[in-house]
Amino acid sequence: MSALTLQNLNLNVDDEIWLDDISLHLEPGGLYTLLGRTGAGKTSLIRTIAGLEDLDGGRIWHGDACWNGLAPWRRPVAMVYQQFINYPHLSVLDNVAFPLRRAGVGADEARDRARAMIDKVGLSAMVARRPGALSGGQQQRVAIARALAKDAPVLLLDEPLVNLDYKLREQLREDLVELLAGRQSTIVVYASTEPSEALQMSSRLLLMEEGKVVQEGRPRQVFDAPASIGAARVVNDPPINILSMTLDTDAAEVESLGYFPLESLFGAARLADIGEAGLSPGQYYIGLRASDLQLAPEGRPAEVTLTEVSGSETITHLDMAGCHLVLHERAVVNHRVGSQIHVRPRLSTVFVFDRNGALAHVAHPSRGQD
Amino acid sequence: MYRQKHLFLLPGLLVLVAIIIFPLLFTIRVSFSSWDVFQPGLDWIGGENYGRLLEDARYWGALGRLLVMAVGTVLIQYVLGFALALLVWGDLRARRFFRVLFLVPMMTTPVVMSVIWRTVFHESIGPLNGILQALGLHGLPWLSEPTLAFISVMIVEIWQWTPFMFLLLLAGLVSLPREPYLAAKIDGAGPIRTFFAVTFPAMAGISIAAILIRLIEASKIMESVYVMTSGGPGTATETSSYYIYIRGLRDFQLGYASSLSVTYLVIMIISLTIIAKVLVRFFVKDRT
Amino acid sequence: MKTLYLAIKYLAILVWSCFVVFPFLWALTTSFKTANGVTGGATWIPWLQYEPSLHGWKTLFGGAGGTDITGPYMNSIIVTGSASLISIVLGTLAAYGLSRFTFKAGFVRNGDITFFFISQRIMPPIVLAIPFFLLLRQLGLLDTLAGLVLVYIALLLPIAVWVMVDFFNNVPRQLDEMAWLDGCTPMTTFYRVILPNSIPGLIVAGMFCLIFGWNDFFFAFTLTFTNTQLLPVAIVALNSSVTPWWSLSASALISVAPLILLAFVVERFLSRGGLAGAVR
Repeated sequence: MSALTLQNLNLNVDDEIWLDDISLHLEPGGLYTLLGRTGAGKTSLIRTIAGLEDLDGGRIWHGDACWNGLAPWRRPVAMVYQQFINYPHLSVLDNVAFPLRRAGVGADEARDRARAMIDKVGLSAMVARRPGALSGGQQQRVAIARALAKDAPVLLLDEPLVNLDYKLREQLREDLVELLAGRQSTIVVYASTEPSEALQMSSRLLLMEEGKVVQEGRPRQVFDAPASIGAARVVNDPPINILSMTLDTDAAEVESLGYFPLESLFGAARLADIGEAGLSPGQYYIGLRASDLQLAPEGRPAEVTLTEVSGSETITHLDMAGCHLVLHERAVVNHRVGSQIHVRPRLSTVFVFDRNGALAHVAHPSRGQD
Repeated sequence: MYRQKHLFLLPGLLVLVAIIIFPLLFTIRVSFSSWDVFQPGLDWIGGENYGRLLEDARYWGALGRLLVMAVGTVLIQYVLGFALALLVWGDLRARRFFRVLFLVPMMTTPVVMSVIWRTVFHESIGPLNGILQALGLHGLPWLSEPTLAFISVMIVEIWQWTPFMFLLLLAGLVSLPREPYLAAKIDGAGPIRTFFAVTFPAMAGISIAAILIRLIEASKIMESVYVMTSGGPGTATETSSYYIYIRGLRDFQLGYASSLSVTYLVIMIISLTIIAKVLVRFFVKDRT
Repeated sequence: MKTLYLAIKYLAILVWSCFVVFPFLWALTTSFKTANGVTGGATWIPWLQYEPSLHGWKTLFGGAGGTDITGPYMNSIIVTGSASLISIVLGTLAAYGLSRFTFKAGFVRNGDITFFFISQRIMPPIVLAIPFFLLLRQLGLLDTLAGLVLVYIALLLPIAVWVMVDFFNNVPRQLDEMAWLDGCTPMTTFYRVILPNSIPGLIVAGMFCLIFGWNDFFFAFTLTFTNTQLLPVAIVALNSSVTPWWSLSASALISVAPLILLAFVVERFLSRGGLAGAVR
């Protein structure tokens, strides 16, 4: 039961920075979700831990063993790829037993343990088949079973669900949560681009952007107080609306949304806090979640540029005086593209970022006293 | 970390260096010696052999003949191979049978087939003249008249290696995407316009590769020559390889033959590089 | 217009087919002739035009008036088979290394090494024949099977590397990485995971090696005399001034027969599109 410590990891490929001075401490029993957009460095970090990339700087410690220069086949690591990678020439059973056999487990025991793991992922009926004869979801289940069968102290999952279609993804995610629960001695690192997935999976959330870990914390914490505009963008899907704001002593002008008395933006009781938070008059950015915009006849007019309906939700992209806004409604609404609708902020949560993009203040104006 | 990687590459690389590069360096060394049947051994005579080959009209003649033969046969092979590939590309009865049939010559041993061709070309009792006579024509002295002998060797080369062009070009045609053809059909383009607008440009890469590979192989022509005409009549069908063979392993003038080899190799590498550049320009210009 | 086009198409196919088949048919009919049947002029149809005889075929297996070709046939099989096998083993290993790992030596990179392997096909046999002759004589390997195997490896190794590099480049790297993480060293990865999944590539490479090895004449001709005759050399030896055309034809047919069977294999790969990758 050793913790994994990453010290100042740096990775450059072709003069491009892929990992920028990453330091982390990962405890056994923890499930860490790396959340970030494509290209943020999640895969690089995972591959670095697995030993598949050569570091340009920094050290990796597992307990007091240094992993630098340790070949991948000597690292106690299991990994699941985005792509469904299995051994095409082996049956499902032999695929899952393969790492055990390589670790020196006897043939019979390896098969028994493999069979047990295949049961857990729900593929008992397929043990004799080749991976090529399985569906995508089943192939990924085999890959997961193989990774789990090894019982490696470090388990790396690199967006394992991203190549599955929606239904399968939901189902496998639920199963995965169950499979990963209660592995007290395992460090699980799970890369994802989906905030909702991160919320559902993780005990700790690590936000990644441009090769850096920009924020670390419990998921709720990070959602409620994203440390920067970048962090806010990563954790919000549909995308958060970021608008520039000019703050004056008694009112604020928000780009294209117009003037707001400070009280309405930040709540009456909070006026005093604003000074304390260091919000002196000046230039800021305001973050409004897509679900914090609402239709309102008295609101500002905007033109519908795109609507997406998924399940029972509607995401509408708007153009308001040249400013791009996203509106998220928990209902199926059919806004015609090109038509005009009126929206205004719901003002339940307002994020204020300073000119450098760092979080300056979070207000909940409609909650009244608190 | 990946120290084992050398275990993969080195055995093959070392073997190749040992059996090709070492002998090649040895040839270069021998080319500066007067090694022959009377005086075997490595002495040093400087560039004497190279001076001699500059004035060796038979050597340059052989090189010229090789050029004509190689370029001539390869171009004919390309045109015929492309035509045949197009013929069996589309709908055709017994398509697979014809594909196999058209591939057969390239699989067969060239020298063995040359032996058969020699009997085919036989002036008095060969079947070719037999057919000509049955048609009321005169039989021709296929292998004993200089020009005809040259043509005969070319015919055999074309018979043997057109299938190779056919194979590569058909493989290219089979892997072409369908969409451009649908588009051409919708535009109402006829088969000839479709060929020049869609097929030919798409085949540029594979055409260059096929022509180059065949040119490389054709520059080695000598087996068919040896079996069918022994370079004759006179030196009418003598190619570079064959002439070097005569000088080296028949007259045993190893020093001189080595200098011929080295010169031949250098000329080949230079001209193939130039030809490759020209081909790329030709096909790529065609694409625009 | 359409009918005319079809007529031309089938006519062209017919003409070329005749050209392709011509020497084979001629060899087939000649192989059943005797001296009388040959010298009487070009005849094609047995019984009608000449009296067929199995004489030509019998001479192949030690009958009077010909050469026994069973010995050369065996020699050819041994030399081609072992040189192909060694070339495939070495070539596959090298190709895997070149496809998966980075090699650097001065300005030389992987691409240059691959090119070095493949470019050996440019080397004209005659350029190598002279030093081979001298070196094999030095080693006492002139006119031996072992000497020929050595030379044929030079001929076949570039082909094996060429085919296999292309094949491995199309095998996903994640497969190797997965195996590493499952505890395989590069060597075990290679033979436990990559090799079992490379059978199509190995078949193509093996086929090319067998064809080129079997069809070589020049090295076999210049580097052997009488002890170790390979098949093509034995056949060409029949091509003397007093040519026994019947044995010649029979032996020619029997020597190219296995290759004609390979044509079917090649066509199968072609139809499945498997060759498009291999020839590029």
